[in-house]
Amino acid sequence: MNQPIIQAENVGKIFPGGGGGLWRPAPPDVRAVDGVSFEMTRGETLAVVGESGCGKSTLGRLLLRLIEPSSGRVLIEGTDITTLSGAEMRQMRRKVQMVFQDPYGSLSPRRTIAQLIAEPLQVFGLVKNRRQMRERVAELLTQVGLPPSVMDRNPRQFSGGQRQRIGIARALSVDPSFIVADEPVSALDVSIQAQIINLMQDLQQEKQFSFLFIAHDLAVVRHIAHRVAVMYLGQVMEIGTKRQIYEVPQHPYTQALLSAAPEARLDRPYRRIVLKGDVPSPTAVPEGCSFHTRCPLAQGICRVERPPLAQVAPGQMAACHFAAPNSLGVAAAGPSLDKSNSPRARA
Amino acid sequence: MSAPLLNVQGLCVEFGPKAAPIRVINDVNLRVDPGEAVGIVGESGSGKSITSLSILRLVPEPPSRIAAGSITFEGRDLLAMPKSQLRHMRGRDIAMIFQEPMSSLNPVMTVEAQIGEAIMLHERMSRAERRARVIQLLRLVGIPDPESRLKAYPHQFSGGMRQRVMIAIAVACNPKLLIADEPTTALDVTIQAQVLDLMKDVREKLNTAILLISHDLGVIAEVCERVLVMYAGHVVEDADIRSLFENPKHPYTRGLLRAVPSLTDERSRLYQIPGSVPQAGSIKQGCPFYARCDLRQNICAQTMPAMSRHSSSHQAACWVTQNLSEVRSA
Repeated sequence: MNQPIIQAENVGKIFPGGGGGLWRPAPPDVRAVDGVSFEMTRGETLAVVGESGCGKSTLGRLLLRLIEPSSGRVLIEGTDITTLSGAEMRQMRRKVQMVFQDPYGSLSPRRTIAQLIAEPLQVFGLVKNRRQMRERVAELLTQVGLPPSVMDRNPRQFSGGQRQRIGIARALSVDPSFIVADEPVSALDVSIQAQIINLMQDLQQEKQFSFLFIAHDLAVVRHIAHRVAVMYLGQVMEIGTKRQIYEVPQHPYTQALLSAAPEARLDRPYRRIVLKGDVPSPTAVPEGCSFHTRCPLAQGICRVERPPLAQVAPGQMAACHFAAPNSLGVAAAGPSLDKSNSPRARA
Repeated sequence: MSAPLLNVQGLCVEFGPKAAPIRVINDVNLRVDPGEAVGIVGESGSGKSITSLSILRLVPEPPSRIAAGSITFEGRDLLAMPKSQLRHMRGRDIAMIFQEPMSSLNPVMTVEAQIGEAIMLHERMSRAERRARVIQLLRLVGIPDPESRLKAYPHQFSGGMRQRVMIAIAVACNPKLLIADEPTTALDVTIQAQVLDLMKDVREKLNTAILLISHDLGVIAEVCERVLVMYAGHVVEDADIRSLFENPKHPYTRGLLRAVPSLTDERSRLYQIPGSVPQAGSIKQGCPFYARCDLRQNICAQTMPAMSRHSSSHQAACWVTQNLSEVRSA
C-alpha cells in the first residue's frame, strides 16, 4: 500500500454570516464543507462531483490551504499543513498546484506567456537565469501541446482551450506532487473539452501526480477519475472507485445524479428519476440526512439522524441509512455498461 | 405535407460595415412544423443564438443586418412586417426564453405583475381573471402553492424556479412557437432534468412547437425530434434525432458525437477534433470545417458544399459523405 500523498481528516469550513447591523439580524453562517475525510495515493485521480453550492470548490481550496479550514486537518505527504507558518506553507506550495475554471480570468492579461509560466519557477528559485527559464518554459509549452514560439505573446491572443493549456503548463512548472483542478473544462466548447481531458490524463499518467478533479459533469469524470466522491451540501455522500459509483451506486443522490445527466444517445443508460425540489441553501442544511428533503426513499429516521459515511463494500462508502446497490432502481433498464476491463481502473 | 409553422430560407446575417461585412450566419434554412420540437446544436460562435434571435428580429440593427433570406411564420413574412405588427406577434405567437433567468426577469416586479404583463399586452381580461390565469400558469409550470407566491420577487426564487417563471411568462398567451435559447445551461443537472420535463409537459398540454438551442446534444435529445447542427454560421446537418445519432453524415457531427464524454463509455481516451472553433466570419471560402476535418479533399477548400439529401429526413452539407452515399446507393 502506498503512503497517502493527501489525507483529509474531518475537514470543515464554515463561512461566518458576518455581523448584523443595528437594524439587521446577523445573517446565518454558511456551512460550506462539513466533516470531509479521504485519502489519495500517488498517481491517483479523485474526482469530486456535485451540484453548485455543494462545497466542492471550497474543498479544493481547503486542501491547498487557499482558505483556512474551520476544523479538521489536511496532511500532504504526512505534514499537517493547517499548522504550518506562512514561510513553511510557501515552501509547501511547491508541491501543490491548482488549475482554475475560468481560462480568461486566471491569466494576467498584461504578462507574456513566458512570464506567466515562469512565475512559479522564479518564486521557488528553480531557474538561475533567463536562458534557463526560457528553456524550461519551452519544454513546458511542448508538453501541453503548444509551440514554444508562442511564449512572448499575450494571453488575449489565445482561445479558451489554449489558455487552459497555459494554465496547466504553469501548474506543472514546479513539478508538483498534487494538483487540484477546479472545473477545468466546464468553460470550454465540447470539441475542445476532449483535447484538454486527454491532455490532463496523459500528463497525469506520465508524471504520476495525485490529481483532485472537481467537476459537475459525471460523464467527464468517468473518463479521468480512478475514484469518485459525490458531494451534497458540504458532505461526501458517497465515495468509491469509478466502477462502483457508475455501476453499483448505493446512495440515492448518486443514482439521481446519474439518471439526470442528459446523454447524447438514444438508449438512456439509467432509468430517469427526476428529483423534486431544489437543493436547500447551505445556510439552512436540513436536520438529519441533508438529502432527506429530496430523497424518494426518505423515512422517519432520515429526518432525525444523520447517517454516517460508512463502508458499504470494500473501498466504497455511502452516507445513507438505506444504502443498497441501485436502491432507486435507476439501473433497472439494464444499462449497456461497458464491461471491458479498463487498464486504468483500480481494484 | 403540412404547411410549416416557421420557415426560414437562405438566411444570412452580417455585422460590421457594408463595405467589409462579417457574415456570421450563412444561408441557413430552418423549418418548424406545428407542434414539432426542433433543436439547434452548435458550439460557441456557431451562430445558433443569432439564428434564433433573427427570427423575432431581436438582433440589434445596426450593427447587424439581415443581408438575405426570408423568414415566414404561418405564411406571413416576418422580415417585411412593420415593427408594430411584429411586436404584436412577439409573446403571443412566438415566445422566447433565455439562458439566464435572473437577468431576463425584472427584479423590482412581482411574479404576478410580470406574468400578468405578458397577458395584458395581448389579451383583454379583468384583473381577477388575470390573477386566476397567473395562478393557473404557475401551477402549470410546477410552482408549489402558487397563490402564496404571487407577490414574491424574482430574487426570492431559486434558479430553477426562476426558469419556471420564465416559462410561465413565455406560455402565458399560448404561443404557437416557443424559442428556448440554452434554457438549462445555467442550471444544475437535477434542476435541468426538471426544467426539460416541464418543457415536454408544456408542449404536450398546449401543443406548442419548440425550437431549442443548446450546445448539449444530450439536452436536445431529451426534448426534440429533429436537430440542426450548426458550425461557423452554416447548418452542416439537419436530421431526425435517431438518424443523427445512428448515422451522422457530417464529419463535424461525427467528431462531436465521439468527443462528448459519455456516462457509460470507458474508453481510456476521448476522440478529439483537432484545432479550435474558427472565429465568426473568418472563413470566406469553402467548407468551414475544412481545417479540422479528417476526410477533407481539395474541393472542400474551394466551394461550400450544398445540403445533400441522404433520406427523407436527413441532409448534410459535405462533399465527401455525399459521394460516399451515392456510391453506396448506386
